[in-house]
Amino acid sequence: MINIVGRKKIWFTISSAIIIVTILVALIFSVELDIQFRGGSIVTYSHSGELDKGDFAKTIESVLGGEKVSIQEQRDVTTGEMNLVVTLSSKQGISPEKYGEINDALWAAYPQNNIEVVSTSNVDASIGHDFLIKSVVAVAAASVLMIVYIAFRFRKIGGWSAGVFSVLALLHDVMFVFAVFVFFRIPLNDSFIAVVLTILGYSINATVVIYDRIRENKRLLGTKVSLAELVNTSINQSLTRSINTTISTVIAMGTVCVVAIVYNVSSIITFAAPMLVGMIAGAYSSVCIAGPLWVTWQEHKLAKKHG
Amino acid sequence: MKKVGKPMFFIVAAIIIGLTALSFLGVSTTYGDVPTKYIKGVDDIRWGIDIRGGVDVTFSPPEGYDATDEEMAAAESIIKVRMVSQNITDSEIYTDYNKDRIIVRFPWKEDETDFDPEDAVKELGETALLTFKEGSNGPVVIEGKHVQEAYVALDPQTGNPVVALTLTSEGATLFSEATGRLKGQTISIWMDDTKISEPVVNDQITDGNATISSPNFTTEEAKDLADKINGGALPFKLQTENFSSISATLGLGSRDAMVTAGIIAFILVSIFIIIMYRLPGVIACIALMGQVAGSIACITGFFPNIPSFTLTLPGIAGIILSIGMGVDANVITSERIKEELKVGKTIDGAIDSGFSRTFAAIFDGNITMVLVAVVLMGAFGPPGSIFARLLAPIFRWFGSSATGAIYSFGYTLVVGVIFNFLMGVTASRLMLKSISKFKAFKNPWLYGGVKNND
Repeated sequence: MINIVGRKKIWFTISSAIIIVTILVALIFSVELDIQFRGGSIVTYSHSGELDKGDFAKTIESVLGGEKVSIQEQRDVTTGEMNLVVTLSSKQGISPEKYGEINDALWAAYPQNNIEVVSTSNVDASIGHDFLIKSVVAVAAASVLMIVYIAFRFRKIGGWSAGVFSVLALLHDVMFVFAVFVFFRIPLNDSFIAVVLTILGYSINATVVIYDRIRENKRLLGTKVSLAELVNTSINQSLTRSINTTISTVIAMGTVCVVAIVYNVSSIITFAAPMLVGMIAGAYSSVCIAGPLWVTWQEHKLAKKHG
Repeated sequence: MKKVGKPMFFIVAAIIIGLTALSFLGVSTTYGDVPTKYIKGVDDIRWGIDIRGGVDVTFSPPEGYDATDEEMAAAESIIKVRMVSQNITDSEIYTDYNKDRIIVRFPWKEDETDFDPEDAVKELGETALLTFKEGSNGPVVIEGKHVQEAYVALDPQTGNPVVALTLTSEGATLFSEATGRLKGQTISIWMDDTKISEPVVNDQITDGNATISSPNFTTEEAKDLADKINGGALPFKLQTENFSSISATLGLGSRDAMVTAGIIAFILVSIFIIIMYRLPGVIACIALMGQVAGSIACITGFFPNIPSFTLTLPGIAGIILSIGMGVDANVITSERIKEELKVGKTIDGAIDSGFSRTFAAIFDGNITMVLVAVVLMGAFGPPGSIFARLLAPIFRWFGSSATGAIYSFGYTLVVGVIFNFLMGVTASRLMLKSISKFKAFKNPWLYGGVKNND
């Protein structure tokens, strides 16, 4: 049997360190919001032949009355050609009319280059803001639902504290997902929220299996063993399950991730990669954080009562 | 626990294989040139606009204008009429009455080669031109600005729903003259270039209060017509708040890549689970196949009471994710069976307690996934969806989502979890119990126990 509860200091240190570094990096380099949340415009053009990016940008800027745009190159999934991704600096998005003017100007300036619009994305700042708040509310609502559910199901083993600690473990997982966005400089988007919500459910699922074992063992062993021992036994009994389930989900999500990278499906990369990290973090936190943290709290309470 | 007979394995396996074949292939016949669909297969999946390309646009009244619910409904009906007149039948239109926004998503037409989202969007948001014309396409009698309002009323004599019109005083004068002249003939009502109704003039209408009746009007049809007429009388032009578009070629490559990923993931997970758990692993793979088939069936509209669902790239990722998570129930029970064998139980006893003792954990785990998936669907779904309504007390003050792709992920996740529960618990138990009755499968080694040498 592995003494997981006994090594809690190691786990807590590793996790805290990663979380602190993530927060520091986020504060120093700042985290960008995707245009879904902050508003703005991105247009992707395909073209043939050689194009000067600077001139291309100037053509667009002249239509916009001098507003700056930034241009990046991106490989097209289907054609394999390089596309130009134009990001406007304004947060308000542009009207379909203005957008039409830009296209007309580009077609006039580059008649030989078969310029075509591959995709456009245009979000008004106020809609983006509403959507951001809604997403945050969704995550909060889901967390509360989880606490209430766990508190109810595990009321015999101190449900509320069990619920709160499993959600603390969740915050930990969310920070790991956040870390992927921070370190890879991915703007926070709807994928981030979807991943966070999924990890919420996934990690709680893993924690539930362990709590369930604690509940069963408490019935079997009663007060014969210490709380730390009880929790540690339960974690160990469900360890193979935790590992195997994680492996199978990691296989599935890992495949998605690899295929998305090979074919450059960017909307899926920003979804699958954080999901993968979140799942590993979720499995780790269920085993090494949620249980040990809860034991610490219960022992602290006990000590207080007796002291 | 109920007795499970030997044939049960074959019955359950046959049902799963049948479901898989049907949900993937569908059933259709072609009689002459007329194909008839009985059961929808994967070919009938409605792909999201992130896959087949299309436009996603949000309209709202001009800033500072507080539109009433009736005006928003009228605006929505204008867009619907225009969609149909442009031959776009596969659009999704949602109106958010709290935030006064209309979200429209439509794919490119199949034969379209010139993808011009800007024109399509501009056209949809234009003020509708409502006209009443003499006969089926004669001179204009009155216009949208002459209509004060249209609403559904009940005919006092017949009790049938009718559309009542209130005209402005200028409209009343014009209409009185026309109805006097056209008694017994028809007046057609047009929105832009689409005829929406052509009632017969029964009497001269002098007071500006007209009703349009039809012997077989349903309340819905009457409301629909009233909305359209109101649409032509809207005092504002819709503004574009958001719009995004994607070309038709970009997404298909991504979809094919994701489908490949799904197949690879299924094979890898199957190999892993069979190596880890031997016979229960094989059973888990059959159950997993059933789970995927169930998810597909819920997307295609296979079950008569579950409508088809738009599948996006994140939606496919959701199916793959549920493949990975789906074996969890089997992992938990197989682990437990192994444990029970270790403490000396018979195969039968081990299988029984393996399933019964893990039920609570599997149930709890699945419930938490269902809860988050419901929140996901509420947060990212259209305003009218059941989940959005369920969560309306929390979300009503926040706008609808700026993207539609994630909704599909929530859906595939929730159906994946539900089928996982059905397959991983019920179907797996029946199959494992029945197969263990066969002499060839009585070796504990097959269940992760110690090899039986007798």
